[in-house]
Amino acid sequence: MTRPRLPRVGAREKVTGAAKYGADHAPDGVAYAMPVVATVGKGRITDLDVRAATAVPGVLLVLSHLDDLGITPAGYIMAGGYAFQSLQPMLDDRVAYRGQPVALVVADTLVAATEAAGLVRVTYDTEPFAVEVGAAGTETVLQEEALPLPFLADVVVGDAEAAYAASPVRVDQSYRSGPQHQVPMELIGGVVEWQGDTVVVHEGTQSVGALRGGLAGQLGIDRERVEVISPYVGGAFGQKNSLQPHLGPLAVAARRIGRPVKLVLPRAHTFHAASFRPVARHRIRLGADRAGRLLAAIHEVDQQASRQDLLPATYTEITSRLYAIPDFRGRQRHVRTDTQTPGYMRAPFEHSAAFALESAIDELCHVIGRDPVALRLDNDAATDPVTGKPFSSRHLGECLRLGAELFGWADRTPEPGSMRDEDGALIGWGVAVGAYPSLTVPTQARLRAYADGRLVAEVGGHEMGQGITTALTCALTEDLGIVPEAVTVVVGDTRAVPHHLTAGAWGTNSTLRAAHEALRELRAALGLAPEGPVDLAAAVTASGRDPVEVEVVTQGPGQPPEMIDRMRAGLVALAGPDYPGYVSFSFVAHFAEVRIEPVVHRVRVPRVVSVADCGRVASPVTAEAQVRGSVVWGIGAALREHSEVDPRYGGFLNTDLAEYVIPVNADIGRIDVAFVDRPDHVLNPMGAKSLGEVALVGMAAAVANAVHHATGRRVRHLPIMIEDVM
Amino acid sequence: MRPFAYEAPTTLPDALRALSAAGPGTKVLAGGTTLYDLMKLDIETPSAVVDVRALSELAGFDTGGPRELTFGAGAPMADVAADPVLLRDYPALAESLAKAASQQLRNMATVGGNLLQRTRCAYFRGGPPFPCNKRLPGSGCGAIGGLDRGHALLGGSDACVATYPGDWAVALIAFDAVVDVAGPRGERTIALADLHVEPGDTPEREHTLDWDELIVRIRVPVAPAGRGSTYHKVRDRESYAFALASAAAAVELDGRGRVEDCRIAVGGVATRPWRCREAERELVGGVLDGPGARRAGEAALSGARPGRQNAFRVELGVRTVAEALRIAGERAAR
Repeated sequence: MTRPRLPRVGAREKVTGAAKYGADHAPDGVAYAMPVVATVGKGRITDLDVRAATAVPGVLLVLSHLDDLGITPAGYIMAGGYAFQSLQPMLDDRVAYRGQPVALVVADTLVAATEAAGLVRVTYDTEPFAVEVGAAGTETVLQEEALPLPFLADVVVGDAEAAYAASPVRVDQSYRSGPQHQVPMELIGGVVEWQGDTVVVHEGTQSVGALRGGLAGQLGIDRERVEVISPYVGGAFGQKNSLQPHLGPLAVAARRIGRPVKLVLPRAHTFHAASFRPVARHRIRLGADRAGRLLAAIHEVDQQASRQDLLPATYTEITSRLYAIPDFRGRQRHVRTDTQTPGYMRAPFEHSAAFALESAIDELCHVIGRDPVALRLDNDAATDPVTGKPFSSRHLGECLRLGAELFGWADRTPEPGSMRDEDGALIGWGVAVGAYPSLTVPTQARLRAYADGRLVAEVGGHEMGQGITTALTCALTEDLGIVPEAVTVVVGDTRAVPHHLTAGAWGTNSTLRAAHEALRELRAALGLAPEGPVDLAAAVTASGRDPVEVEVVTQGPGQPPEMIDRMRAGLVALAGPDYPGYVSFSFVAHFAEVRIEPVVHRVRVPRVVSVADCGRVASPVTAEAQVRGSVVWGIGAALREHSEVDPRYGGFLNTDLAEYVIPVNADIGRIDVAFVDRPDHVLNPMGAKSLGEVALVGMAAAVANAVHHATGRRVRHLPIMIEDVM
Repeated sequence: MRPFAYEAPTTLPDALRALSAAGPGTKVLAGGTTLYDLMKLDIETPSAVVDVRALSELAGFDTGGPRELTFGAGAPMADVAADPVLLRDYPALAESLAKAASQQLRNMATVGGNLLQRTRCAYFRGGPPFPCNKRLPGSGCGAIGGLDRGHALLGGSDACVATYPGDWAVALIAFDAVVDVAGPRGERTIALADLHVEPGDTPEREHTLDWDELIVRIRVPVAPAGRGSTYHKVRDRESYAFALASAAAAVELDGRGRVEDCRIAVGGVATRPWRCREAERELVGGVLDGPGARRAGEAALSGARPGRQNAFRVELGVRTVAEALRIAGERAAR
């Protein structure tokens, strides 16, 4: 069946500048804030002199640990709290990392706030620090012991050591990636204003609930006295998944001066003010027979952590399942460094894990002389190798077959360096696959149908540009047979319904589940058939009520009801990928072509084919955009992006968009996207699995494998720079 | 950003008077693409800014003259980059502008201001806590012994290895450009080769202009080698990035296909625009072939002093020169 291609909802507003983002809010009397950040790698503040700063005309307030802010830390999001890290700066004299905020200046104008921030004189007692994984002074801990939770235990299936030792063919290699930063276009910050006893926050976020719950806790007020409004988010990619440390002090400042306060962090600050993708070092051991049948895998990972928190790692969740490997052992460790807490950045573990595993698979193919597509197809898994359960659906083989056909893989000659362009450029073709769990979260949805035919849907989700509004509009219009113009979707607003965090690619399938349930309720309330097109206006009019309102809350299969309470409190409440009776993952196959210039050896990626298995495609236009965007991200991760660390100073060095090199349009060639598009009705009635994360997984490996095919050079770190291929 | 006095004179004499009156802490504002950026970072802290955008004496450019090309210092980079004569007869000059920054920045930035663009060194731009002899004389150099992947291989000193970031000046130096400068003591002409200085012991001093002088125009002698020229720029991405290595190359061939005139300059690898006379001598009188181009590249990078991370850019520079010469040679042979 041909699906209608609904254009992206809100596209016109975005390209014409009409869309209002958090910091675009400009209430009367707004004042401007600017943080002062620590310039030392670690230590204690011995003196903080604000005299020159407060003398700047227009300065209203300078907050620091010397004031009693009257707030408490909001707690770490992965330890029952709301914030990206447990450390709330400005509550004491400790400096844990360079770039940590130590004061906040508030003034009538941004210029005055900025000038005054530069005049705050801070004196420190410095302490030794370590910011690089592997450096002296870091501390390594085993995840299983440090975070004793069942889903964070090492994946162990069979006896991988013995099976590896007995394998006729063995690959044993190490790979590394990171650090990286999310650098969304929308900077971090927002506007906080007190309306009576209620504090209203306008801020781009993936979790209005976490901001609400976290800020209420920080201030010691009821959750109902915090409203968070975030209709658009200008890119998040994990960076805006929780409360950030500016918000509490901003609310205190707004209350003290009795005016709304706006904060927009300078780009350089954002590299230390929020999370980042940590360094990950992998050792992969693969055992196989001479035909390429995988017999064993051992995947050991060291992930960068902060001193204050451990980011729960799930690298081996997918590496244990991409193939039918009978014996597998994973081990995940954390290396504590003196940084802010690293966190989630699109495909947070899976991107790096797939780079490692899929590079190693390519190495295996090269050793035994097998075609990389054929070997992957031979090792496809019919059931989950870890639990023995079935997959809710798994069409990875079809992704590979369809991708190979679209790419023209059959024309590849296997020998590295064997394909050349007329101008002498080396051509390399690489393939890699990826997987990502399909998670489900408790979701509340309210539908209001009006006698004039309008339908308003208030749904607990966030629009970060991924297209959740468009997917919901598709679902509502297709179900009822009404036009998109009749539908208004409200997301990212605590005044509507409670919201769970939107991340981890669970947003679309979770909100579609709620929308589906709400539509059934609405049809029942209107006395309509359970499916088929309807005359909504007539039905509402006939009901004698205007509007007709229904409200539902749905949750993941097998999820206990108290998870709904967690959602309403703004806490994380995930179900999956291990559901009762099955596991659920999405899959992808990427095919990349690279060309390496004959003399200078610049690496170009003229074309990519990506095929995803995300269940039923919820919204064709935005789903394709999701995958294309992921391919761009993958090219950036493979060839461009790297946060530089100078261990003498701590923090990050290349903290602007000129020096933190993300791809530009000229870096991107042709991207062809296809979907298997087979509904997964085991997971949910709408048949949708996750997409936004899986689409990135494996892309960097496809590029790295293509670079090897072109040059014979195996680059085992990201990004691959020109010096790696010269 | 700190408060500063601001003046926007409308004539060159008024501008020179305003500069003199405002004193040595004054900065000239043209496109603003570097100055405002550095003021926001608190790296440039001028007491006064003299805005020269309204000066008609600095406007416009003329590429049709019989003996020289003239470029008003205030001409936007984007306008000059799109000039049909330049594109046809001096592609190296047009390309050096078109490959700089982004279209939006080129619309704002001027060909005069671009000559004095300041380095992108992260230790310079980062402010405290980083030492930087250029920003704070005597504080030390963060890049030496630090992250120096993008730092200069040529012309550095123990005090500073910051790379000269520009492209346009690299192409200009290959064509023996001069700049006309106006000041309270009248006009003078400086060879572009004498405009920038190596850091030595005083990296805070980047050029030979006095604080009360103003670049009025750039002049380039007509050169037949211009037709066979290119500006080749290699960077970490395809656009909107500074050069890891770049080369301006121009070649004129005689009737027998031998190199009659050759110009080579390199960018992104030196502390100032870097003319490579020895490399040129490698080629003049001979046939331009791959090995010869490679030898010229090696001559251009001879004397390179790599640091911790940037040694690969010696070889990259050699290859960039060789590739620029190949492109220039093909154009010259057309």
